[in-house]
Amino acid sequence: MTTAAVSSPRDTSPKRKPKSKLRRSITSDTAARITFYIAVVVGWQLVAWQVERMPAPWETLQFIYTELTGGTHGGVVRGQFWEHFLATLQRFSIGLAVGFVLGVILGLAIGSIRFVRSLLNDVLLVFLALPAVIWAFLTVMWFGLGWQAPVYTVILASIPFVAVNVAQGVRSVSPELHLMSDAFQVPRGRRLRNLMLPAITGYLFTGLRFAVIIGWNAVLLAEWFGASNGVGWRSRFWYDAARYRGFLGWVIVFIVFIFVLDGFVLRPLQRHAFRWRERGEDESDLSLDDVVTTGI
Amino acid sequence: MATLKVDGLTKTFPPVVKAGKPVRAIRDISFEMSGQVFVSLVGPSGCGKSTLLNIVSGVETPTSGTVSVTQDGKPAWLGYVFQDPRLLPWRTVMQNMLYVSDLEDDEARENARRYLDMVGLADVEDMWPGQLSGGMQQRVGIARAFSVGPDLLLMDEPFSHLDAITARGLRDQLQELWNETKKTVLFVTHDVMEAVQLSTRVITLAHGGVVFDDTKIGLPFPRRVSDPEFAQHQAEILARFEDMEAARAAPAT
Repeated sequence: MTTAAVSSPRDTSPKRKPKSKLRRSITSDTAARITFYIAVVVGWQLVAWQVERMPAPWETLQFIYTELTGGTHGGVVRGQFWEHFLATLQRFSIGLAVGFVLGVILGLAIGSIRFVRSLLNDVLLVFLALPAVIWAFLTVMWFGLGWQAPVYTVILASIPFVAVNVAQGVRSVSPELHLMSDAFQVPRGRRLRNLMLPAITGYLFTGLRFAVIIGWNAVLLAEWFGASNGVGWRSRFWYDAARYRGFLGWVIVFIVFIFVLDGFVLRPLQRHAFRWRERGEDESDLSLDDVVTTGI
Repeated sequence: MATLKVDGLTKTFPPVVKAGKPVRAIRDISFEMSGQVFVSLVGPSGCGKSTLLNIVSGVETPTSGTVSVTQDGKPAWLGYVFQDPRLLPWRTVMQNMLYVSDLEDDEARENARRYLDMVGLADVEDMWPGQLSGGMQQRVGIARAFSVGPDLLLMDEPFSHLDAITARGLRDQLQELWNETKKTVLFVTHDVMEAVQLSTRVITLAHGGVVFDDTKIGLPFPRRVSDPEFAQHQAEILARFEDMEAARAAPAT
């Protein structure tokens, strides 16, 4: 009698499972995202049919393809994609790396030293409020055309976002764990590595993601105004030439780049950093497998 | 041999509200303990037990009086077990053990393993604290405190956040661990039974932060709660405490 009572709830579970899995896939975050992309493409196509100057998705894709592979279009030589993209990537990476490191140092100081906090609080607020385009204008004024304006724009635009987040992270570190470290006389360096940095990791990633988005924005703006090559410059080139599919094609490139960076670099890094947390929080990212196995 | 000397210790906190009275946590406490002893500080909540422990550990400074913790004349090395485990959630059990150790080499690893083994956690060293139960986490906390080889071990109600059954198991384990290592321990608790089971000496604090009773417990280890002599010790301490409470409650004449 007891065995029957124990086994009966177990028996029902396999029957229910496939249905709930299917339902989970349809309503999962990934499914929602895919639906959104499809809606964007469809909406874009609809607008392109109505508006004469709006290139259709297919034409834009074709443009990106020829920009990648070469050929001519209206007498202009194509196939310069990598030259411009790599130039921008280099400026962006240097600017982001410098901005990130400076932002972390500044954030650690603001978070842990009261004097620095009161000194820089308002300054940081002003920096946060300044749009990247202001930095683009200023750096072009200071450095003229060349690599400096984009790099400095990225640095200046990304620092405050990293600093603010890191400072907040430092202040959120549990005082109990600090007291524990005091009681065991844990040396400073080890405390920084094992207590402070892991505790602020979440804030660090938020800061980094903001910095990436703001920085990418900034580098394109600065190149638009003050460079002689790069993604921003190339976009402007097509815009000035009234080749809208060229302009839009490059816009698509910006967006794809950000998505690839976020999805294939930042998120895996973040997942690695938070592997100590119980699984479940990142389930939405795993649901892609569910979609594949259930054949949606 | 570690020696703890507490002499005329008083701690007063600033008033909670403006123009209120300063809050006196402990008043003129003196005692001395030395060598292979397990001393419990027992008393009701708010009698200043934890404040006393914080002063001994150096986290707080006394208003007046002195505390000295020495090992053969030199400053002693302290270990601490807290009410909650206080483990780094983003570090594995082994990494948590190494966090407080002098070095992070193979020898330290071996040492950490030995103490984890002693508290019955030989095979969890690569797990995250979040994957362990509350009782297991507290055992890691205990192993961590023992592993630094402290001259004096301070324990602040380490079992008060656990359920009764888990707490009982951990008390038995602590008893064994102490018997093996014979460290000098100062243990804070509000539970008289726990104090009688674990200690060689029980110091009772009363409201207002004064030492009210100081008793040696000579029972052999391991101690069993069901032992009649155990019950007798416990009853005596409780009786004296109740008499004192009754006298305090009686109107002053």
